[in-house]
Amino acid sequence: MTIKRTLILHGVIIIGLLALMGMFAVHDVGTLTTSSRYMEIQEGLNASFLQMRLYEKNYFLFKDDQAMRDILSIIKAAGKTLDSFSDAMIPAIGEAKYQALRNSLSQYEHEAQLIAESGTRDVVAETTLREFGRRLLELSTRLTREERAKIDKIITKAKRGMLASFLIFLVLAVFLTPLIYRRIFSSMKKVTMLARDISKGRFRIIDGKVPDDEMGTVITAMNSMSQELRLREDELVQSKKLGSLGVLTAGVAHEITNPLNNISMIAQTYQEMYDMLPREKRIEFMDQVLGECERIRAIVVNLLDFAKPKVASFSPGDINEVINRTLGLVQNMLDVSDIEVHLDLDSGIPTVNMDKHQINQVFVNIITNAIQAMKPGQDLTIRTTTTEKRDEVHIVIEDTGKGMSPETLSHIFDPFFSTKGVDGTGLGLSVSYGIVKNHSGTITASSEVDKGTTFEIHLPATPQMEDTDE
Amino acid sequence: MSKPAVMIIDDEKVVGDMSKYHLEAAGFEVETFVDPAKALDRFREKSFEVVVTDLKMKGIDGMEVLKTIKSLAPKSQVIMITAFAHLNTAIEALRGEVFDFFPKPFKIKEFVESVRRAAERAQA
Repeated sequence: MTIKRTLILHGVIIIGLLALMGMFAVHDVGTLTTSSRYMEIQEGLNASFLQMRLYEKNYFLFKDDQAMRDILSIIKAAGKTLDSFSDAMIPAIGEAKYQALRNSLSQYEHEAQLIAESGTRDVVAETTLREFGRRLLELSTRLTREERAKIDKIITKAKRGMLASFLIFLVLAVFLTPLIYRRIFSSMKKVTMLARDISKGRFRIIDGKVPDDEMGTVITAMNSMSQELRLREDELVQSKKLGSLGVLTAGVAHEITNPLNNISMIAQTYQEMYDMLPREKRIEFMDQVLGECERIRAIVVNLLDFAKPKVASFSPGDINEVINRTLGLVQNMLDVSDIEVHLDLDSGIPTVNMDKHQINQVFVNIITNAIQAMKPGQDLTIRTTTTEKRDEVHIVIEDTGKGMSPETLSHIFDPFFSTKGVDGTGLGLSVSYGIVKNHSGTITASSEVDKGTTFEIHLPATPQMEDTDE
Repeated sequence: MSKPAVMIIDDEKVVGDMSKYHLEAAGFEVETFVDPAKALDRFREKSFEVVVTDLKMKGIDGMEVLKTIKSLAPKSQVIMITAFAHLNTAIEALRGEVFDFFPKPFKIKEFVESVRRAAERAQA
């Protein structure tokens, strides 16, 4: 189910519950209002009826004629109240009970009327009136009691209803809602981690089953973006490699010229002097030719190895070895440009988990840039060190060339930024940056115009095994 | 008349070794060096009619060798060989009064002939 549907369903459940609660509440409040209105009237009537019973006693016991007139006026008032408030009373107690009360009052009124007219105070009249009075008061009190019980019941019911609703909301909030949000958050977390990795240049994809919802769509999009970026990066690395290849080829051509000339000279001598050469010399000559061929083969293999596109493969290796290998590739460029290289390689540095070809390319990029920034006779220093904890390897490549302005320096790792016009691809250092990031390392540069530029690369060392000797 | 002396300086040992065969066969006295500094020390002891030097070498390069030779013995002739076939370098070298210039790889016969002419000029 999609997140949208889940959220809508969640909303519908909550709104439905609220509406149900509201309906019950409105109904209960309506009933309570009717009851309380009735109670108000009924309590007034009860008070009048009590008064009436008091006047009965006065009439019969103390022979007070005024009392009967008072009773009649109370009856009239009560009758008026009953008639005018029938609308408020009937909904509360019902037609039957209202009529019973009304009849009971009429009966009492009728008897009181007879007594008042005849002026009798005999036992029969007294008993009849008092019986009717007693019944009227009893009915009235009973109705009041019943209504109060009804009110109590409604209040208890409302209380229970509210408690139940609260519990249902609590269950929803504690169990159902987190279920929905956990689903969203777990996907969000995966996407956030991927985004962070991508920004660091690690173009991985989110593994596992892609959820069938909106976050699933985001994950699929992120995955394809990451794959696309990885592909582009490989293309960038390769295009930069082919770019440096042009620079390297000039040096390589020269490097091949020397063994080629040696073979040529040996061959010319062999041809010319054949008769004069003793057998051992001839063999020695051919051995030399083979040696020179091997030199050429090594150069070509090295160059081809550099140019070949490769899938990155990481393994622990010695940075110093990679530096020497790089120097083998660029030695002739250095010779041509008359740059002297000073090596200060710490032989005790820990190994680094790396793709040797990629790291080699980083060094080629930095050194060819350095060579291009220097004049004949200037110096290039390459230093390797490690930290006290031996958890990092630091490589410092320092030239004494023309340097860069702070403005230029701030852009050197940007793709397609070049100071060399048509001679540069502007990719060398951005690719180097990507490679170092991929190795979880850092690359920084500092420069001063006319003083030179220093590149510093920090790479994490291969995690060491714990010391076992106690 | 003694044999003309030829000094060959190239950090590629084969160049000196092979040249020596041909130049000795052609009647020259030959000494070869792979280290330009040692070669110049030797030159201070003994004058050579012809000095053949590589242009790009570790430490002291061919242009420096040329200047030193010319200052020590202006009559000595210098022949330059190099793996860098840049025209610029060739012109620059010639302007510095180089007798001849050979980009690698070169024909030894032509080279020996050039040395012979250089020796003649040195002795003239």
